[in-house]
Amino acid sequence: MTNERVIPWQPTVIAGPKQALLVTPETAELMIKKAKKPLFILGPLVKEDPLRTYATKIAEKWNLPVVTTADAYKPFYDKGLNPTAYGVVEIVNLLKDPEWQGVDGEGQHDLVIFMGCIYYIGSQGLSSLKHYAPHLKTLTICKFFHSNADASFPNLKDEEWFKYLEKMGETVS
Amino acid sequence: MIVVAPKPKTEPKKFKDDFWKTKDFKISIGKIVEKEGEISEEKTPMGPTPKPHVTDLRSWDMKLLGRYEPFYAPFCDMCCLCTFGKCDLLNKKGACGISSEAQQARIVLLACNIGTAAHAGHARHLVHHLIGELGEDYPLDLGLNIDIEAPITRTIIGKKPENLGDLAKTLNYVEEQLSHLLSACHTGQEGSSLDFESKALHSGVMDDLAREVGDIAQIVALNMPKGDGDAPLVEMGVGTIDNDKPVILCIGHNVVPGASIMDYLDETGQEEDFEVCGICCAAIDISRYNDRAKVVGPLSRQLKFIRSGVADVIIVDEQCIRTDVLEEAQKKNTAVIATTDKMCLGLPDMTDKEPDIIVSKLLNNEIEGALILDSEKVGEVSVKVAKILAPKREKLKLLPELDEVQKMAAECTECGWCNRVCPNSKPMMEAVVAARDGDFSGFEKLYLNDVCYSCGRCEQECERELPLMSMLAKVGEKLAKTEKFNIRAGRGPVQDVEIRRVGAPIVLGDIPGVIAIVGCSNYPDGGKEVAEMAKEFLERNYIVVATGCGAMSIGEYLDEEGKTLYEQYTGDFDARGLLNIGSCVSNAHISGACIKIANIFAKKPLEGNFEEIADYILNRVGACGIAWGAYSQKAAAIATGVNRWGIPVVVGPHGSKYRRLYLGRTDKKENWKIKDMRTGKIMDGEPAPEHLVYAAENMGEAIVMTAKLCIRPTDTGKGRQIKLNHYIDLYKRYYGRLPPDIHLFVRNEKDIPITYKKDVKEILEEVGWEPREIPQEPSLMGMDGD
Repeated sequence: MTNERVIPWQPTVIAGPKQALLVTPETAELMIKKAKKPLFILGPLVKEDPLRTYATKIAEKWNLPVVTTADAYKPFYDKGLNPTAYGVVEIVNLLKDPEWQGVDGEGQHDLVIFMGCIYYIGSQGLSSLKHYAPHLKTLTICKFFHSNADASFPNLKDEEWFKYLEKMGETVS
Repeated sequence: MIVVAPKPKTEPKKFKDDFWKTKDFKISIGKIVEKEGEISEEKTPMGPTPKPHVTDLRSWDMKLLGRYEPFYAPFCDMCCLCTFGKCDLLNKKGACGISSEAQQARIVLLACNIGTAAHAGHARHLVHHLIGELGEDYPLDLGLNIDIEAPITRTIIGKKPENLGDLAKTLNYVEEQLSHLLSACHTGQEGSSLDFESKALHSGVMDDLAREVGDIAQIVALNMPKGDGDAPLVEMGVGTIDNDKPVILCIGHNVVPGASIMDYLDETGQEEDFEVCGICCAAIDISRYNDRAKVVGPLSRQLKFIRSGVADVIIVDEQCIRTDVLEEAQKKNTAVIATTDKMCLGLPDMTDKEPDIIVSKLLNNEIEGALILDSEKVGEVSVKVAKILAPKREKLKLLPELDEVQKMAAECTECGWCNRVCPNSKPMMEAVVAARDGDFSGFEKLYLNDVCYSCGRCEQECERELPLMSMLAKVGEKLAKTEKFNIRAGRGPVQDVEIRRVGAPIVLGDIPGVIAIVGCSNYPDGGKEVAEMAKEFLERNYIVVATGCGAMSIGEYLDEEGKTLYEQYTGDFDARGLLNIGSCVSNAHISGACIKIANIFAKKPLEGNFEEIADYILNRVGACGIAWGAYSQKAAAIATGVNRWGIPVVVGPHGSKYRRLYLGRTDKKENWKIKDMRTGKIMDGEPAPEHLVYAAENMGEAIVMTAKLCIRPTDTGKGRQIKLNHYIDLYKRYYGRLPPDIHLFVRNEKDIPITYKKDVKEILEEVGWEPREIPQEPSLMGMDGD
């Protein structure tokens, strides 16, 4: 794997010595398995197919509660999910509060999986959680390496990304 | 034995404690001696905080910050300010003891201070220059329809300014405060993030004050429109500029050099022979001064237009100018004249030289450019240089031909780094690859509406050193020829008579809101979205006011009939009015209009009465700013200033890079407690407005949030119905359902919009909604801690 794959997609978002751990779909799945209260956040960059379908399958396979940001609510609702709509800064603000009771009202989340938020505002949100939410881990499964997350996919070409996502959404027989 | 200093038996008298700030405590002085031998009657009651010091409004700030807790999103984990460090603040404190939160807040304070200093420096320059021209007794006459000429100054300073000299005194106060605020940023000073925020809020209000001074000074002294809703239409767009004439381009924010050019042309009878145009706020202000000046467009036009080589002379003044302007201009043999102490560009100071000598040196390339700090000389020199240089530069006004662009594109290695370094991840590489095959549509899409705002980062990264911005400018050349728009000249303040007419419908909610579209052109997806937002709210009966780059972007949108929104909507401050208020300094008139509503409609005294006025605006005036492309420190200061007055702002996704937002929490019911001043009762309030600074990810989210942030506790049943109708309608459009938080804004059944009655009632039943009491005079004053 070349170094270029683990330089942040927009190289200038690099924030400091701590960088995200590079993960494969398998490791990402292990993180989800291990989590007690995961949350899936879907942004406007994945509201169209095929990404909408990949994201939906992942949510269904892992039975993840879903939050949509910007105007991603309707496409995912139409796809059969029951998301909660928040602005990306609103949900990050709630996630950084250890007392917040989560989208289901039953307690704060311990893992947040991001996909499809606009890169630079996503990066800012991840930075916020990196600094002020030690109670949860962040994982990004975008096609971009997000250095401010705890764990991230590397920079990927579309085809490779789709394979990663397909793998994460495959139903185990 | 430990010896300690004995405590005094009695407390020293404190002149700055809370006693003097008790609510409704008014100091009224009957007769005061103003000048020797003259006795005047002072009738205006003085509020508790004239000329407030940094901490005098701290209690108000803490109320805001308690409700709208700062949200920090660090740009960087490190603090790089002093030699103790660098310090990594990720889950650690710095060597000086600073926490990550406090460091973020310190950076916000620094940003606000820089912005405030930019406006204050600009205002000082203007006032100093105008006093030199006209004397300090020159009166501040804003015409018959504006009695409250300076609502911010009156509220903060506690005094009506009468003349240019009074404006200079106001700036003395701003500069003093700024000195304290900047000093707080020093290592080992403030340690609390909330106190840094309080200081940032103070800095923002100082910015508001400086802008008001700057704009009033230029309006009265340069005879700009005085609140004229029917200000003339001004030509805008690259297509309106006649390349056959010598072209002088002004970039920046200071009107003085541009005005001198227009004066010199008029005096020498050459006004028809030259084109004087501008980019950014200088363009707006010069066209307020003389409507023959043309507006090229917002900040995003800068590099493309310079590269086009159309300008024979570039005049730079201050703020928002590309710092490589000289280097870029030299590539096209365009002469550059710097005109202020803020931006000297390393150029020789020619201020004391005879104009003809400067002209000769510039034309013979004896100097790279000239720094001329005398505006009259700038006028003469720029015109003379442009006249001689223009015919010699004809060929330089041409960009490479399209076949050359195609050849250059063939050199692309498809490394993809142009896309990666693009602030908006726009498909520059794909545009280049297509151009290689003679398909220029990718470039065209990037060119139109400034989707690519030509920052040039892609060029700097290109391993083949392709001149991507020049290639873009060439492809856009034919499109630019059709860019002909009309923008209404900046009108300045809102008239008192207009406030009288609309104060009640705004406060009661019949007019659903005042939307202020302001800020820079750091847009996530081009300027068209700004015009679309303006159109959306105009069609819905809101009042839309605009300034600066936002005002220009609105003017670049044409309807099916080829008309701009400025030609379709009235320029009056009324429902469905679209007002170009002016340049960025004119933003002061927007908070000024809100202040005037409190004064003219509600009879709240202004002088020294900041908290009561801000409390009124927060709870009653349904205004919301949209700074869709906010990029600068000035924008940070402006937003923070209006926040302190109680006006929320929605910024674009790049706004998250300011590192701090003020977000409300609807799940914390206790945060929304409010006092009904009529009954004295503390009661449950509502999240209205829900946030103070909010970064939206895309346009749809911004539109919906803006409609929501116009809701205020004092809306009448009818007013609330109107506001909720728009909120629901827009939410349904962008989210496909009714807003799930609608129950928070329905106080009783009268609030439910008739069109959505059944659906809303279903939601209310689902969540177990109960009607609640409506405060008659909602206020944050007199709450705990006062």
